[in-house]
Order: sequence, then structure tokens, then C-alpha cells
Amino acid sequence: MIKFQNVVKQYQDNKALDDVNLQVHHGEFISLVGVSGAGKSTLLKLIIGEEQIDGGRILIDDVDISQVKKSDLPYLRRKIGMVFQDIKLLPRRTAFENVAFAMEVCGHNLAKIKSEVPKILDLVGLLHKKDSFPEEMSGGEKQRVAIARALSHRPVLLLADEPTGNLDEVNAGEVLDLLLKINQLGTTVILATHASDLVNKIKKRVVTIESGRITLQQEKGRYKL
Amino acid sequence: MDSISFLRIIKIGFVNFWRNRWLSLAATMVMTITLVIFSTLFLLFILTNYSIHTISNTVDISVYFKIGLAEQQTQKIRDQISQDPRIKEADYVSAAQAFDNFKAAHQNDPLITQSLNELTENPLPATLHVKAKNLDDYPGIAQQLESDQYKNFVDKVNFEDNRLVIDRLNKILKFIVTFGIILVAVFALIAILVIFNTITLTIYNRKEEVEIMRLVGATNWYIRSPFLTESILYSIFSTIITVALFVPVYYKVLPKVIAYVSPGGSVYGNGLFNFAYLALILFALALLLSVASTMLAIRKYLKI
Repeated sequence: MIKFQNVVKQYQDNKALDDVNLQVHHGEFISLVGVSGAGKSTLLKLIIGEEQIDGGRILIDDVDISQVKKSDLPYLRRKIGMVFQDIKLLPRRTAFENVAFAMEVCGHNLAKIKSEVPKILDLVGLLHKKDSFPEEMSGGEKQRVAIARALSHRPVLLLADEPTGNLDEVNAGEVLDLLLKINQLGTTVILATHASDLVNKIKKRVVTIESGRITLQQEKGRYKL
Repeated sequence: MDSISFLRIIKIGFVNFWRNRWLSLAATMVMTITLVIFSTLFLLFILTNYSIHTISNTVDISVYFKIGLAEQQTQKIRDQISQDPRIKEADYVSAAQAFDNFKAAHQNDPLITQSLNELTENPLPATLHVKAKNLDDYPGIAQQLESDQYKNFVDKVNFEDNRLVIDRLNKILKFIVTFGIILVAVFALIAILVIFNTITLTIYNRKEEVEIMRLVGATNWYIRSPFLTESILYSIFSTIITVALFVPVYYKVLPKVIAYVSPGGSVYGNGLFNFAYLALILFALALLLSVASTMLAIRKYLKI
């Protein structure tokens, strides 16, 4: 589904990614591990076209994303959901409105929004919180709303950049369980994290990245550095 | 573009305008001031131009022939004068015609009619009204008509020299244009800066929303358009305010000024200028300024 071929990304003198080769298959769950600054976030940003590569190729379903026109990037992003460590919910909107916002900006009509959003909130187990504002929810709940928002376009791929970074163990566990559930429903998931205990629980493919290079790839792996 | 997105963009534009209402007000006001200055100078320009036109038309030389000259003689001299290449037209009124005109003009005045009937000979001279092609030729022509060549036939040459007035008006016109361009340019620049800042602040206030919009796949067009909508609102409101201010000026004050400059004259309907045009020009000017400054702000601060 996604192929990284000799990908290089450079920030001034600093090579964020160096000769990265990686293949992600449909329906996979991949944990991308490494210390902060190893290049995990950069790798995810390249997939959604937020950053441009300086060498190599990235193919998504055989489409070279460096060839995607800037004006077409939004349509690529609608196929890829993304969640972040800092969650990025709009504080003055309820859980329902935050999810609805993503559908609104992509031109869905009100009837569709009204029927879809409750289903998605139900999927992440937060239908009962649909009228709550972010400040009225726990960190884990907020992150689950963010995941709901990312799912609103029914993406084929979900990228999670340190989604549990600010969460305690219980909340982190909830979020991880949700990601696994989404993966089971058929969405490919790439989870970037440096939380070793989390990764060890998943028992799925682990890709280790160090100073911009992939140093280890293991099926059903453990977090090792 | 589908209609749902279009309506949402309009709505977001209004919401932005309202959330920053004080800044929006400032932007609208600065734009209004610019438009008011522009309209005032525009009206002054039209008025001065009109005055020059009117006064230029009134300049002429009247030649009064001596009384008792034979018609043939006066006509001969008329033909002689008309040949001067500097002269545009020479309007000849014979003595008999002048008498008839006078009689017709006073036919309702029994006293004058009666006195006229008692006259045995025509007391009115034949006249010739000369218009030059060029304003500056008048003194020369007048001088020639007063010269010895015509001394035996011409009783009086009447030349009203309005050239000084016209000259002055021309200077005023030049001043209005120069000063107007500078003033409008300065205020246009201020308007651009204020709108630029307002839109920049709106962008800053909506940073989070814009970031999320991008991430969830909103098109660039969808992200940018609300800011443009906001700036179009400034143009619409400032045009409406300016037009509202100038409707009384145009329909109440202007006719009086025109009547003063040239009694019986009118700026309406003779193509000199139409208020709808002014409104259209104002809106175009406002739109140009606000959209240009918004585009600048978007390019500089809105990361897509």
C-alpha cells in the first residue's frame, strides 16, 4: 500500500530521514518506534504531503506522492486520517461538532453529517459525550474524539503520531485498544511512539528508526533500542 | 464548488467579520474615508470641468455695425470677417432681424409695442457674434475688428474676456487632479495596511481551525475563501455607506451648484456623469483594495 524507496528528507544540514526503505501492506498495524527526534514524525508528515521529500520516492497505491499536485493534496488527505500527541480539538466546539467540522469542510451535507457523526462517536465509545466540550473530557476521551474526527472520511490509512504521549497508562490503554479495533475493521494503522510498554503489548510488526535510518524491522516484535 | 460549501464559506466570512467586529469596523471606516475622498474629488473634478466647458462656450465677440448701413454692405463685411481662419463661426443678425426679434420678445408689453410702432426707422444695428476656434485667438480677433479697416462700418466691438476665469479654473482642475491622486493614493495605502492587519489577525485567531482544516483535507480554496469573503464585506459596507452619504449631495446640493454655475444647466441625463457609475467605480475601487490586501495577508501568513 505504501512504499518508501530510498527516501531522504533533509532540514538544512540535518538529515531527518536517510535512505529509508519501508513497505506497508493493506490492513497492517505497524508500530514505528524510536526516541524523540529519530524521524518518526517526519516520516508521517511525508505520507500526508505536509513535507516534501528531498530524494527517493514514496508510493501510495502506486501513486508517487511527490507527483501529486498541491491542489490535489486535500483529496489525498481525505483518505488518510491523522491524530497527534497534542490532539488538536477545537476548544469551543463539542465532541459532535469537532467531528462534524471535518465533514463540513469537505463539503458533506447536513443530513449526512447528522447520520454519520453519531455512528463514528459510537465506534470510539463516546456517543454519550457527544455534547461535551473538550475541557469536560479526559485526555483519553479527547484523543478518542480526535480519532473519531480522523475516521470521519472513512480513511484507508490512519496515522497516529504519539497519540498517547500526554496520557496516563489507563487512558493510553483505551486509545491503543481503539486503534487496534479500527485496524481490525480494516483500516491500516501506523502508530509512531516511544512508549515501549505499549508496543510490547501490541505484538504486531515493529519498525525501529534511529537518527533517520530504519535499523530494525520485526514481525510481532518488541521495542528494542 | 457546490452550494453547501459556498454557503458555509459565506457564513464563516460573516462570523469572522463579527468576531473581530471592532477591527472590521475600523477596516470598513478607513475604506469608507478613502471612498468619500475619492467621491468628493470626483465630484469636484466633474463640476470644474463642467464649469470650464460652460464658460468657454460663453466667450465670444459681438460686433455692432453702425446704424443705417445698407444690408449689402454689412453682409460684405460679414463675409470678409468670416474668412479669417481663426474664426469658428460668425453668427450674423441683420438689423431687420434684430428689430423683429426685439418686437417678438416684447410683444406682450403694450408700452414697448406702441413705441416701436411710432418709430420711422430701425434703431437697432446689425450684429455679428464671432466665436474663435481657439480661446487665445480672441484678443487678436477683437483687435483686428477694432482696427481702421472696419472703422467706418463698426460702431462697437464688445469682447468679454473670460479667459482669466477659465485659466483659473484650469489651474484648479489641475490642482484637483494632482492633489486628488496623491490624497486617494495615501488613503488607499492606509486602507490596504489596515485591512492587511485585520485579515492577518483573523488568520491568527483562526490558526487552529485552519490547521485542522488542512489536516482533514479541506481544499485550499475552502480555507482561503472565508478571508476573501470578509474583505468583500468591507467593500460592500463601505460602498453602501459612501453612496448613502453622497445621494443627498448628488441630488440636493449638486443641482444648486450647477444652477449657480450655469443657469438652466444640468448634469443629469446629459451623459456628463451618472450616479450609478460613481457607485460602481467606488465598489470596484473598494474591492480592488481589500481583495489585494487580503491576498497579500493570505500569501504571507496563511500556510496551506
